[in-house]
Amino acid sequence: MSKLTTIAIDAMGGDNAPQAIVQGAIEALKENENVKIVLVGTKEPVDAELAKYSYDKDRVEVVYTTEEIDMGDHPVQAIRQKKDSSMVVAMKMLKEGTVDAMISAGSSGALLAGGQLVVGRVKGVERAPFAPILPTETGATLLIDSGANVDASPSHLVQYAKMGDIYFQCTMGRKPSIGIVNIGLEEEKGNKLVKDTFPLLKECKDINFVGSVEAREIPAGAVDVAVCDAFTGNVIVKLYEGMGKTLLRMIKAGLMTTFKSKIGALLVKDSLKNTLKQFDAAEHGGAPMLGLNGLLIKTHGNSSHMEIKNAVKQCLGCIEQGITEKMKAAFANNVEE
Amino acid sequence: MEEVLIEAICNILGVHSSEINEDTNFVEDLGADSLDLYQIVMEVEEGLGIEVDAESIAKVSTYGEALEMLQEYE
Repeated sequence: MSKLTTIAIDAMGGDNAPQAIVQGAIEALKENENVKIVLVGTKEPVDAELAKYSYDKDRVEVVYTTEEIDMGDHPVQAIRQKKDSSMVVAMKMLKEGTVDAMISAGSSGALLAGGQLVVGRVKGVERAPFAPILPTETGATLLIDSGANVDASPSHLVQYAKMGDIYFQCTMGRKPSIGIVNIGLEEEKGNKLVKDTFPLLKECKDINFVGSVEAREIPAGAVDVAVCDAFTGNVIVKLYEGMGKTLLRMIKAGLMTTFKSKIGALLVKDSLKNTLKQFDAAEHGGAPMLGLNGLLIKTHGNSSHMEIKNAVKQCLGCIEQGITEKMKAAFANNVEE
Repeated sequence: MEEVLIEAICNILGVHSSEINEDTNFVEDLGADSLDLYQIVMEVEEGLGIEVDAESIAKVSTYGEALEMLQEYE
């Protein structure tokens, strides 16, 4: 058997923990024979969930913890004070290298704080951004940053572009096109941050910078990597999700209005399902926090078992490509410069 | 204590010790954010075996203030 990749999963993180987390972990185990899962969480509920499944016990380890970080906890204080929480213990394992990657559906704020405070940034990386994958008409776009640093500087955005370039190549196997989110396509458009960043990105010869991208072009797949500050990124993600849900609700309601439309709905049901599946973010796993000394994936707070399973697959691909080592090499060069 | 603090600052912010003096402001002079400051304090805590109150950290903005705060926990 080839070497196992070990992934720690915060079993207590998210609205559906530990049920969905444990179920997703077991499903991932069955689909990937080269993975070992370390479930980190409270003994009774985790054991009770595990007891529901039959699985290869050699590839599952449970690390018991006594505390949990709640959504309402102050992120930094929770990371500093709840040292025996599932999230902090999993992060320490990632930092110490006892696991290759970590997945959590827990508090975004605590993950952001812990990612930096416990796992730590790669030397040379100024800020560690969240990079969710947005499903698009042509595949997927990586949006960096969607929530880590609302007050970004031009040098941060340039680093996001470089990290996005590495991550995209590791996961998609090709060089991505990279755009900066703007309110128009012309170079002179935008706020100070965008105007100051644009020429710096143009100077980066190691990335495929294609210029500005307007938010409306992102769903069509105009660029592979869209770079912005976290305030802009978070607004885009929330609008994307909200718009998708509203449209879907309205289409469903419209299809149910008359007898004719109901017949029509029956006829298009399968095609519609397939199309919608392409736009299901859970299909792509979670959002990596880039630039850390280890691979940390954040899944949605309401993650289903499928999202957890896909996040494991996402980790395996990244680990196989040596993503953390590539980030370290890229930014070590930056430091030397 | 000074050595541990300076080492942590240099290590985390990637700056040289010559850039640090009593009045050096973490955010304005060294480009730190609030998490960087916590990270520095956590490294010092680990090095010295102390535990600093989060409220005290929030009040710190310069190297001199950080040193003064840490000395209270020594």
